[in-house]
Amino acid sequence: MRTRAILGSILASTSVLIVGYQAGVSVTTSDGTSVSLPVDAATNGTAGNTNAGNGSSTPGTGTAAAAPAASGPADGTFTGSSVSTRFGNVQVAVTIASGSITDVTALQLTDDDGRSVQISNRAAPILRTEVLSSQSAQVSNVSGATYTTDAYLSSLQSALDQAGA
Amino acid sequence: MRTAFPTMGTMASVELPAAWASEVNEVQRIFRTIDDRYSLYSPDSELSLIAAGTTSLSHASPPLLASYARALEWRSATGGNFSPHRPDGTIDLNGIVKAEAIEQAGEHLTAVGCPEWSINVGGDILVSPTGAATPATASASPLGPRVMRAGIAEPLSPTELLCSLELRHPRRAIATSGSAQRGDHIWRAGSTEPVSFVQVSVVANDIVTADVLATAIVAGGQTALDDVTDRWDVDVVAVDRAGALRATPGLLHALATKI
Amino acid sequence: MSTQVRPRAATARPRTALAAVATAPDYRRNFARRARLSDLLVVALWASGAAAAALFLASGGVDQFTSVAETVTSIGIVSGLVGTDFILVMLVLAARIPLIDRTIGHDRAIAVHRSLGKPALYLLLAHGALLLTGYGLSSGINPIAEIGPMLSLPDMPLAFIALGLMIAVVVSSLIAVRRRFSYEGWHLVHLLSYVSVAFALPHQLSVGGVLADGTLQRVYWIALYVVALGSIVTFRFAEPLVSSLRHRMRVAAVTEIAPGVSTIQLAGNDLRGLEASGGQFFIWRFWTPRTWWHSHPISLSAIPTASSARITVRNLGTGSAQLTTIPVGTRVSIEGPYGLFSDAARTSPKLAIIAAGIGVTPVRALLEQASFAPGEAIILLRASTPEETYHWDEIQAIAAAKGATCYTMIGHRPRGVDSWMTAADYERGVTLQSAFPDLADSDVFLCGPTMWLDLIEADVHVSGIRPEQIHAERFDW
Repeated sequence: MRTRAILGSILASTSVLIVGYQAGVSVTTSDGTSVSLPVDAATNGTAGNTNAGNGSSTPGTGTAAAAPAASGPADGTFTGSSVSTRFGNVQVAVTIASGSITDVTALQLTDDDGRSVQISNRAAPILRTEVLSSQSAQVSNVSGATYTTDAYLSSLQSALDQAGA
Repeated sequence: MRTAFPTMGTMASVELPAAWASEVNEVQRIFRTIDDRYSLYSPDSELSLIAAGTTSLSHASPPLLASYARALEWRSATGGNFSPHRPDGTIDLNGIVKAEAIEQAGEHLTAVGCPEWSINVGGDILVSPTGAATPATASASPLGPRVMRAGIAEPLSPTELLCSLELRHPRRAIATSGSAQRGDHIWRAGSTEPVSFVQVSVVANDIVTADVLATAIVAGGQTALDDVTDRWDVDVVAVDRAGALRATPGLLHALATKI
Repeated sequence: MSTQVRPRAATARPRTALAAVATAPDYRRNFARRARLSDLLVVALWASGAAAAALFLASGGVDQFTSVAETVTSIGIVSGLVGTDFILVMLVLAARIPLIDRTIGHDRAIAVHRSLGKPALYLLLAHGALLLTGYGLSSGINPIAEIGPMLSLPDMPLAFIALGLMIAVVVSSLIAVRRRFSYEGWHLVHLLSYVSVAFALPHQLSVGGVLADGTLQRVYWIALYVVALGSIVTFRFAEPLVSSLRHRMRVAAVTEIAPGVSTIQLAGNDLRGLEASGGQFFIWRFWTPRTWWHSHPISLSAIPTASSARITVRNLGTGSAQLTTIPVGTRVSIEGPYGLFSDAARTSPKLAIIAAGIGVTPVRALLEQASFAPGEAIILLRASTPEETYHWDEIQAIAAAKGATCYTMIGHRPRGVDSWMTAADYERGVTLQSAFPDLADSDVFLCGPTMWLDLIEADVHVSGIRPEQIHAERFDW
C-alpha cells in the first residue's frame, strides 16, 4: 500500500511534469502563431474519391488508385477555417502550386472584442523568427527603455561606446 | 568618432565624423542648458521652482512655456496617455525635454553642415538626414552604413538585440519606452494594473513624436497602439508581457539585413 | 470488582467459539477502500507539487536556463511555486475536511501538515534568496542591494511581509520554540499564516510572468487558492457555526465522579444528527467570559442520545480546571466530530482495547458503539490507584451486556523496568499475548498518557500485527 502510494506519486508527478514541459515547448516553438490549417474538406477535394486536379491519376485504375495514390493536395488557393489563437481569430488562405505552399495570406484577424481588424498600418502579431535575422546585423546604436546612468554601464550601448563603434 | 557623456540622468552617445569632432562641445552645451532648466533633481532649476510654487507659470521663460505648450498639445492628441504632469499633479516635462534636446542638437549639427551623425540619449536615437547627401557622398562617408542602423534592445535580456532596423530619411528617429522590467518580472511604478506592453519602440520622422508616442502606447496598451498606428505615420514594434511581438508592416520592411 | 489477567503459563481460557456474525461489516474491504483513498491523497499531494513546477515549464520555462542569472532566477521561481503549493496543501490538511478526516484521521493530517512546514518555509526562503541573487546577477549588483529595487514593485512590499510572517509562523511552531508559548499565543501567531497566504497572492499574479493574465496557469493557481481558502472557510468556520447553531448545546450538569474528574452532561437539539461515533472527539468552546477564548479537544465519553451528550474531563492545567466549575446553562459551540479512533477504522473482526487513566473516556464510548460478536472483544483497563478507575463500572456493564471480557490492572508499574503493566502482573508473567490470544485477528485500540502508550504501542508492534490494526490515541489531559 505504501509502495503503491510512492509509485503512484512518482508516476503522477512525472506525467504532470511531462505535460507541463510539452505545453511549454509548444508555447515556445509555435508562440501561438503556427496555426495548423484545417482546410475545408470541400475545397480540398477529399482525397481518393475525386482526385480533383491530380491529372496523373485516372478514375478506375482499381486498387492502385487507393487513397495513398492521391499524393499531395491539388493546386489552387484554399481557405482555411477560422482558428482562434491567443491574438484573436485568424483565417488564412494558402496558395499551393506543384504540391508546395507558395503563399499564405491572412484573411481575417479579429481583436479581443471580435471586431475584424483591417490589415493596415496596424501592428499585427509577428513571430520572433521574422525579426531574427536582423539581430545579427551590426549596429552603432541601441534603442531601449530609458536606462539610468548606472544601468547604462551594463548595457549594450555602453559596450558599443567603448568600442567606439 | 564616438563621444559618451552623462546628461539628464542617463548617458548620451554622439557620433560624428572626425573632422567635426569639435562640435561635440556645442552638443554638450545644448544638453547642459536644457538640463539646467528642466531638471527636477536640481532644486534651483526653473522647472523645480515652478513645481515648488516659488515661481508662477506665467512668469516662466519662453522656452519653458513653449515646451509646456507642446507637451499639452501631445496630451490632448494622445487622449491623456502622455502627460506633462505626474499623478500627483506636479509638472514634469521629462517626457518631452530629452527629445527636444536631441532635436535641438540635431538641428545644430545639420545647420553647421555636419554630413553624418547620430545622437543617442538613453536609448532615444536621431540620425542625420542622409537623404540630403548624394549617394556618392553617402558611400564615401566616414561613418558607413552602420550609423544608420539602430538595434532595439531585447526587454527580457537587455544585453541582447530584439531586432535592428535601418533609420533612413525621412524615418530617422526611434524611441523606446518600457515599463521598467527585470528578468521575468515586470512592473510599472504607481500602477497595479497589468502592463500589456513591456516595451514599445516607435520609429518616426522626428524624435519628439517617436518619444511621446512610445510613452503613450506603454501607458495606454493595445487601444493606444491601434489608435497611434491609425492616426500617425509611424512604425511600431511592441513586446507584450508574454514576450510576444506586434509590429507594423513598415517596421518589418525596415529590418536591417546582415552586412 | 477487578478481573485479573491470566499469566502465560495458565491454560487457555474456555471460550465459546461463535460463528462470525453474518451482519458484521466487511472490515477488509472498508480498510482497502480507505487505503486506496489515502494513497490517492498522497499521490495528489506530490502531483500538486509537480504541477506547480509544471506551471513554470508550461510557460516556456525550459528556455530560461541559458545563463547563470536566468538559471538562478528560474530555480527561484520554481521553488516559490512549489513552496506556495505546499503551504496551500497545509491549509487543506488543517481544514478538517471530512473526507480527509475519515480517510487518514485528524492526527495523521496534522502530522503531515507539520512535516510540510519546514520544507515549505525553506522553499520560500530559497525563492526570495534565489530571485534576489538572480536579478542581482543580471543587473550586476549584489543580492542585498537588489532588495531596494524589488521593494519598489507594486505588491512586492506585501510579498516581503508575507515571507516575514511565514517565518514567524513556522519558527513559532518548532517544538523547541512552541513549548515557550501558551497554546493561545502560538495559535494567534499561527493565524497569521492566513494573512501571509493572502499577502503573497498579489505579487504572484501581478509580478510573476508564469501566472500572466489570460493563461491557464493563472486559472489553475487561483483555483488552488479558492480550494485551500474555501475549505478553511467552509470546514473551520461555516460548518462548525451551522452545526453549533443547529444543535444549540448547553451545559446540563457537571458531576464530579472522582477527585479532579468531572463529567459534563450537555443538552441540545437532535444530537444524533451529529453522527458522532464512539471514540471521536469534538472541539468544544464554552461561552463564559472566562473560557470562551479557549477551545478544548475532548472525546465523547458516551454516544449522544437525541438530546444529550457527555464528556469527561480531568482537572489538569488552567483550561480544564475551569471546565470542572462551568455553570449549568452555559452555551457550548462545537467543531466536529473528528478522529479515526472509532469503529470506522476497523480492519479486523475482533477487538482488543487497552486504556489507562483518563484515556478510558473515548474507550467507554467506543465500546458502546463497536460491533462485535459476544466473546470477540477483550478490554484491559489500567489505573495506578483505585481512585483513577473512572467509568470502569460503566465499561464493565457494557462489556457484560455485549459479551466482552474485561480485565483490570490497578497498581504502579514495576521499578527499574519499562512496562505498561502493574508490578504485580509483570511479576506473574502476564504478557500481551496471554491477555489477548487472538491479537492477530483483532483491532487494537490504545488510549492513555503518552509515556504509557509509547511502551504498550512498542509491545504491540513487536507482536507482529499489521500497522493498520493498531489505533492509538495519546491522552494527556
